Amino acid sequence: MSKGWKHRPPAAFRLDHGQVIVGKTRKTRPPSDHPVQIVQDAEFEALAITIDDSARSSRRGARWGVLFWIALGGLLLLAMGLAITGLITDLFARNQELGWIGLALAILAAVSLIIICVREIIGLMRLATVENLRERAAEMIVGDNRVEARALVHELLHLTRKMPRLARGRATLEGHLAEIIDGSDMVRLAERELMTPLDQQARKLISAAATRVSVVTALSPRAVIDLLFVFGTALSLVRRLAFLYGVRPGTLSLARLTRHVVVHLAMTGGLATSDSLIQQLLGHGVAAKLSARLGEGVLNGLLTARFGLAAIDIIRPLPFAALPRPTLGDLMSEVLGSFGGGEERQPSRESNLASAEAQ
Amino acid sequence: MSRAAGKASLVYRPIRNLVVAEFIEEIRLAARALAEFGVHLFNPTIRLGVTGLSRAGKTVFITALVHGLVRGGRFPVFEALATGRIARAYLAPQADDAVSRFDYENHINALVDKRSWPTSTRQISELRLVIEYQSLSGYQHTLTLDIVDYPGEWLLDLPLLTKTYEIWASESLRLSRQRPRADLAKDWHAHLATLDPEGMEDEQQALTAARLFTEYLRACRDNNYAISLLPPGRFLMPGDLANTPALTFAPLELSTEGPPPAGSLWAMMRRRYESYRSVVVRPFFRDHFARLDRQIVLVDTLAAINAGPDALLDLEQELGQVLDCFQTGRKTILSALLRPRIDRILLAATKADHLHHTSHDRLETILKHLTQRATAQAELAGAQVDVVALAAIRATREAMVRRGRQELPCVLGVPIAGETIAGEIFDGETEAAIFPGDLPDDPTDLLRSDNRFHGSVTFPQNADFRFLRVRPPVLEFTEKGVPALPHIRLDRALQFLIGDRLV
Repeated sequence: MSKGWKHRPPAAFRLDHGQVIVGKTRKTRPPSDHPVQIVQDAEFEALAITIDDSARSSRRGARWGVLFWIALGGLLLLAMGLAITGLITDLFARNQELGWIGLALAILAAVSLIIICVREIIGLMRLATVENLRERAAEMIVGDNRVEARALVHELLHLTRKMPRLARGRATLEGHLAEIIDGSDMVRLAERELMTPLDQQARKLISAAATRVSVVTALSPRAVIDLLFVFGTALSLVRRLAFLYGVRPGTLSLARLTRHVVVHLAMTGGLATSDSLIQQLLGHGVAAKLSARLGEGVLNGLLTARFGLAAIDIIRPLPFAALPRPTLGDLMSEVLGSFGGGEERQPSRESNLASAEAQ
Repeated sequence: MSRAAGKASLVYRPIRNLVVAEFIEEIRLAARALAEFGVHLFNPTIRLGVTGLSRAGKTVFITALVHGLVRGGRFPVFEALATGRIARAYLAPQADDAVSRFDYENHINALVDKRSWPTSTRQISELRLVIEYQSLSGYQHTLTLDIVDYPGEWLLDLPLLTKTYEIWASESLRLSRQRPRADLAKDWHAHLATLDPEGMEDEQQALTAARLFTEYLRACRDNNYAISLLPPGRFLMPGDLANTPALTFAPLELSTEGPPPAGSLWAMMRRRYESYRSVVVRPFFRDHFARLDRQIVLVDTLAAINAGPDALLDLEQELGQVLDCFQTGRKTILSALLRPRIDRILLAATKADHLHHTSHDRLETILKHLTQRATAQAELAGAQVDVVALAAIRATREAMVRRGRQELPCVLGVPIAGETIAGEIFDGETEAAIFPGDLPDDPTDLLRSDNRFHGSVTFPQNADFRFLRVRPPVLEFTEKGVPALPHIRLDRALQFLIGDRLV
């Protein structure tokens, strides 16, 4: 009997039958006198989970600019090596002890350089992992692939294993891994369990930074000072957000991250303007009527908040699907509340959420 | 000339009556919708239609849903409950005093204590569930959920709303002459041959015809020859209308067109068919289906696949006809005022626990294929449609069976006494690992006419699929002593059906 598809006929095996053995794992080979072995799937891990890495972006081909920098860097490294070797030989020529000290210092410098490099590379890799996770999660929400979603959640759990505030969420999520939940639902569930506390914290960080920038801009005597301050705050904001979401960047990955955020901001800037232009005008206009410095402060705070929101988009390991994306108006009402009104006009969290919903 | 004109007016009169009746019906519906709109403004209510043919699992679904909401089930994907925004849910007195209450307590006790599934539903029952929740913006709200349970056989009647007696009679006859059914209809066909539609009306003849016709319908259902396409449904599950004239009619062999001669058997049958529609079908539709907000259509796809290609084709047609009866589409203010529409439909392939989870996607594809026309129509009208493989109560665990070099993805469960597979008969106590057969990736393979698969009706010994019915699981209890009902994707179904109203 031929079928249009690969078909195996139905069958049933009584568990109390003499020729059937029931095991928990598939590791054990069945003894030869038991022709049928039943392996219970206590967890889905029993199934081999394979991760398709082809989704990652393809490497760009070698380009002349890259080659130039590599060659130049090599030359500089050689020159430095030569100079240091020369220095140490000179030191030895002058005095034996001085030579040893020089050698020890050079070795120390080399070792710490290697460690720094390794950490930077790890940081960059972690950043790449997070980006990769987010891309795959976005695909999974559309594709609904159960096996891959499970693998993704495992990776997420691994990424967040050192975050104490997620202990409960992680435990809940691990409990749900054994159930039959579809791919997109699994990703949403993971987002709700793991990202909720982080998102709240991120919101607080951003609004605190924005408030700080607003106050300093309004009070600072010189434009240079607030320029520097805005720049420094933005950088530290990215760094703290990155730590919050588990990226833990080094210097290089921070630079890379900041570049991504700026690019993202530039790309989504047009979109963001349209939905919050009224608020900007309103906020700026009213504040500017009170004082020009105050208006400037609000504007700078707004920019910082937007920068922070862009950073979240880049750093968050999962896209916003189950949870609402924090919005500028939402954050700015917090900033303005603490900035303009002080204690008597502290907006409640409910009204913030309500305004976010209304948008 | 004048005779021909008179005949034409006679032909058109019933149609005009039909139009007037429909118009009055629409006005009634609109008036009620308007009244309900006012009430719902202050007390948000969802009428959830649980639609399904008999044995599709409506009662079990409602029981599991109510239990999960009231006693706090494990619903990770149902956001409002998982994040703790639902403060509590409780059963409230239902709106309709004339309808009996859904016997949730007894059903759950039977499931937990006796480990038996609920018996088939014999009458209509209703349930009202009130959910107290906190919206995302922090306000306290309540949402009322009205659910109706009814015998699945009655659903078969809905397509009759648009059919005249003559059309129904010829369709029923055509179906009864097709192959596996023809054997069961032998007695009835023999009696039918003795009847003269244009002869004098005779109560005894009508009684015999109705009895034989009912026996044929019942035989079809019991032998799993066809699990659907057996209207009128009240013949199978009469409720309190047994032996009334409205249930004493049968199809006749009609050779001529035009109106029946006055006082003939044909006229009598036709009159009774009409009163069946106006006494039974229309009120049923009006009271329970015309004002639904959300709908879940439970389909026991596996039973149809079990029975064979004919049953599967039957199911496809019946689903199409039933789904055509519902008003679907995007909700607008006007529609909310005058004619409620169903804006979300969930098509659920039930009893997904009879399959290993790796085959669930295929099951969903098959159901999607069976309902594709109705789905496309609903989506065009602006309704959201989703397809899901679901088990309201999961009665099996999963296992991998290794036999020689073969690995078979199986489910572990206790088959109900009397279920057979490959010559083995189960006693209802023994646990077994069941491999039901591989479903195809492409659903059209199941419906191909040239290479039909073997159903268990025609090939009881070497059927291609055997989905065994299994007993309810031994339940674990939570720390509070509440039985936790395991399920597959019930939370996803809830999220789709009412999740958006709980934000």
